[in-house]
Amino acid sequence: MSDIKAIYIHVPFCRRKCKYCSFISYQSRECDIPVYLDAIKNELSLRSEDTVINTVYFGGGTPSLLTSEQISSLMSAIKNNFNMENGSEITMETNPGTIDLTYLSKIKAAGINRLSIGVQSFNDKELSMLGRIHNVEDALNAIKDARKATFDNLNIDLIYGLPGQTVDNWKDSLLKAVEINPEHMSLYALTLEPEEPLFKEIESGVLPEISADTAAGQYELAEQLLEKHGYIHYEISNWAKPGFECHHNLVYWQGGEYLGIGVAAHSYVDNRRSANTTDLDRYVESVSHNRLPPQEVDETITPEMEIAESIILGLRLCNGIDIKDFKKRFNIDIMKRYGRQIEELLDAGLIKKDNSAIKLTQRGRLLGNEVFWRFLPDKV
Amino acid sequence: MKQLKTRNFCIIAHIDHGKSTLADRLIQLTGAIKGGKVIEQMMDSMELERERGITIKAKAIRLSYQAKDGITYELNLIDTPGHVDFAYEVSRTLAACEGAILVIDATQGIQAQTISNVYFAMDHNLEIIPVINKIDLPSSETEKVLEEIESVLGYKSEEVLQISAKTGQGVPELLETIVNVIPPPKGDLNQPLRALIFDSHYDSYMGVVAYISVFDGSIRKGDKLRLMGQGTELEVVSIGYFDPKFCPADELLAGDIGYIATGLKSVGECRVGDTITSLENGAKEPLIGYKTAKPVVFTGIYTTQPEDHGQLREAIEKLSLNDASFSYEPENSPVLGNGYRCGFLGLLHMDIVQERLEREFDLSLIVTVPGVKLIVTRTDGSQSMVVNPSDLPEPTELLKVEEPWVKISVITPSTFIGPIMELVTQSEGIYKHTEYIGHSHSPDALGQRVRLEYEIPLRSMLTTFYDQLKSRSKGYASLDHEVIGYRETKLIKLDILVNGVMVDAFSRVVPPDKAHEIGKSMVEKLKEVIPTQLFKVPLQASIGSRIIARADISARRKDVLAKCYGGDITRKRKLLEKQKEGKKKMRNIGKVEVPKDAFMSVLKMER
Repeated sequence: MSDIKAIYIHVPFCRRKCKYCSFISYQSRECDIPVYLDAIKNELSLRSEDTVINTVYFGGGTPSLLTSEQISSLMSAIKNNFNMENGSEITMETNPGTIDLTYLSKIKAAGINRLSIGVQSFNDKELSMLGRIHNVEDALNAIKDARKATFDNLNIDLIYGLPGQTVDNWKDSLLKAVEINPEHMSLYALTLEPEEPLFKEIESGVLPEISADTAAGQYELAEQLLEKHGYIHYEISNWAKPGFECHHNLVYWQGGEYLGIGVAAHSYVDNRRSANTTDLDRYVESVSHNRLPPQEVDETITPEMEIAESIILGLRLCNGIDIKDFKKRFNIDIMKRYGRQIEELLDAGLIKKDNSAIKLTQRGRLLGNEVFWRFLPDKV
Repeated sequence: MKQLKTRNFCIIAHIDHGKSTLADRLIQLTGAIKGGKVIEQMMDSMELERERGITIKAKAIRLSYQAKDGITYELNLIDTPGHVDFAYEVSRTLAACEGAILVIDATQGIQAQTISNVYFAMDHNLEIIPVINKIDLPSSETEKVLEEIESVLGYKSEEVLQISAKTGQGVPELLETIVNVIPPPKGDLNQPLRALIFDSHYDSYMGVVAYISVFDGSIRKGDKLRLMGQGTELEVVSIGYFDPKFCPADELLAGDIGYIATGLKSVGECRVGDTITSLENGAKEPLIGYKTAKPVVFTGIYTTQPEDHGQLREAIEKLSLNDASFSYEPENSPVLGNGYRCGFLGLLHMDIVQERLEREFDLSLIVTVPGVKLIVTRTDGSQSMVVNPSDLPEPTELLKVEEPWVKISVITPSTFIGPIMELVTQSEGIYKHTEYIGHSHSPDALGQRVRLEYEIPLRSMLTTFYDQLKSRSKGYASLDHEVIGYRETKLIKLDILVNGVMVDAFSRVVPPDKAHEIGKSMVEKLKEVIPTQLFKVPLQASIGSRIIARADISARRKDVLAKCYGGDITRKRKLLEKQKEGKKKMRNIGKVEVPKDAFMSVLKMER
């Protein structure tokens, strides 16, 4: 019997694809939105289950390309197929270039109670380098309108480690952010894949190389500055005012079950990790014929891998791994099973340990991969 | 008499001059295989191999050819390895034949190695049929190549056949020439058995299979035989030839080329170049002087993960069953643990063995800086051979060091003489001789072709010499070399310290006046190839306790995956798995993760 707590809904449409984006999203196909939403509703009913969920997340792409009526009807579809707990966290990602006060008020009424605004930077030059469709003014207006529309749980996304971006440039964006005082901030280091335009611009020398050292300095600055302004660094890339941690993301990190609906959406149910096809047409084709979409990923998580994942994901959280909880969940003494790794990492100053928990150190948060891979099981 | 209707020959050709294409064409045009059936029959042979779980390389193919004189001849085509590292194998193959087809590319002309093979064939009184191949190509320069052949090898234009192995043009004429020009084998069926081993390989089903050319007498299955050079005794388990299928036969007679399966356990007991005779009443004299090909290039081989050492031992033992020309001795490195000091015929041979070990035995290896065998005389008068730089005595105990020198021959358009001369001088070489090839009445933008002779320390050829020769001559120069003996030299040991730990695998012997320059470029190269670590890592070059160069690898500060897109944990984990896999290709030295490639990379330094 599954224990799904979270539903993720993917909206794979964008007005224009950003130059650093490797997520599945289609531009110039907004006309397909109605068909796609019908398919989403079909998939919801195909995956319908008598379980109580407490968080929904509309991610993208650009979910704010949907009308408030479309959001409303999706909310009804979710409630028709699942039991939604009162006070559930309902997040929607928005692009500042696509929203205004009227729209925000309507989606609030439709049930969205947490708004994530893709600000990315408070510097117009950086925004145009990234290929965003909005400028700083649009972002500031969007935030103002969100408050007017009575959103009291606001996240803003910012990106650091941009080509040519200095620690001071980053500091300006961060200071602007703390002035606005959102409840939650996600700070992501720019990571590029070879097929992305920004990657090519760096490779061809149009833009300077990204400096990992500068990015590290920027991250450390963010840690100091946000702590000073009352934010808790609860996960490697996430900061929140007390009580405003993102429930949805916590489900991922804490090994909870979640259902991903839509193109390229990932699920973790009954020890299986799976993902829907990334092909919009194939997705719509299958689901509109009441068949589950083809799976891009479908793997069973062995007990051994589940243990490894729980450490890798758990260490991302500032509370780290609770030794007693771990023992209770897996009946394993983590200090015995991973004694050698833990010793090495303590020695390298990447983790710290007290009587109750193992956590990343400040340095370990920047070098997380060096910590994580050590807990993977050996391949057979 | 059958022997009179037999012709034994091989093809001498530089790489890519068309040896295989010509062989295929000869197979196709002769009676052994009818036209379109070539592929089918080859497949049969492979299936047979699979069924029996054996591998037999068609090293010598028996072809049946009906000549214009109405007589059906038996042609034996013997395959030759194409690289200078295997010069000894080539020489034994030539010794097994009465004739050779010399193939020269109409677009490239004579290459350095071709000449030494031709000279060798001449020494053995082989009848040589010079052939210009690829005359169908638009870029062919047949006239110019004809001039070269006349000037270097002395063959008149009318003696040279012009063919295209690809289209088949001229190949029927070549077959007639083979029959008419190459003499039949001269051996005597009634004399005691003498057969030359020109190749051998180990097969788990039949033991060592020896490829032989029977000069005198005959061999039947079950015969008890003796190798005259090595003294090995054996019994013929099975016998036959290739057409190119694997064809068991009752016997091989004087003049025949074929194989015998010996049941021996290692090719080391049945080496190329030895003469086979009968155990009882055998021949008195071997066919040619038997010697073993001696390794000249030495390197340490270790596994990247120390716990895999047992697998390496097994792999090396197995491989040596099939390759008698590489040597190995266990050695222990303070840093890398247990491994082997292996000797090879040359750098290519070393690459082949390393690749086979890694691929066929699924090993990840560290190969240390290759070096030569030094003769070291200590102040107390004692003399020893040193193949591991770590064994070079302290300068105070050292009276004399001698190292091997090679004679090299380079063929190049004259435009590149200057840059090549400079390279040889930098490599401590000495100029010996220049010889112009062909006539100057068909001048070329790059100038007339010349053959240059130099002598240089073999040690200098073990780094980037060949690559640089190629780049300085825009790919035109070809190179041949042979070891000519030992000469006294001044050499000292240069060490590399990684994070304060002396890594013997990086140690090498260098001339004192170049130590500083080499040390500096080594630490700089290592700084490029060793990834940043969790802490700052100093790299130092030292002579004895004196540090002569230093470079630092700064500490890594950031390596973490940020965004978790819509719960895609799988992708994150895959990236971590890749990272973990990558660690297996690293060796931990003083807490520093050194990629296996680093060990060879220090050789590939531009000077």
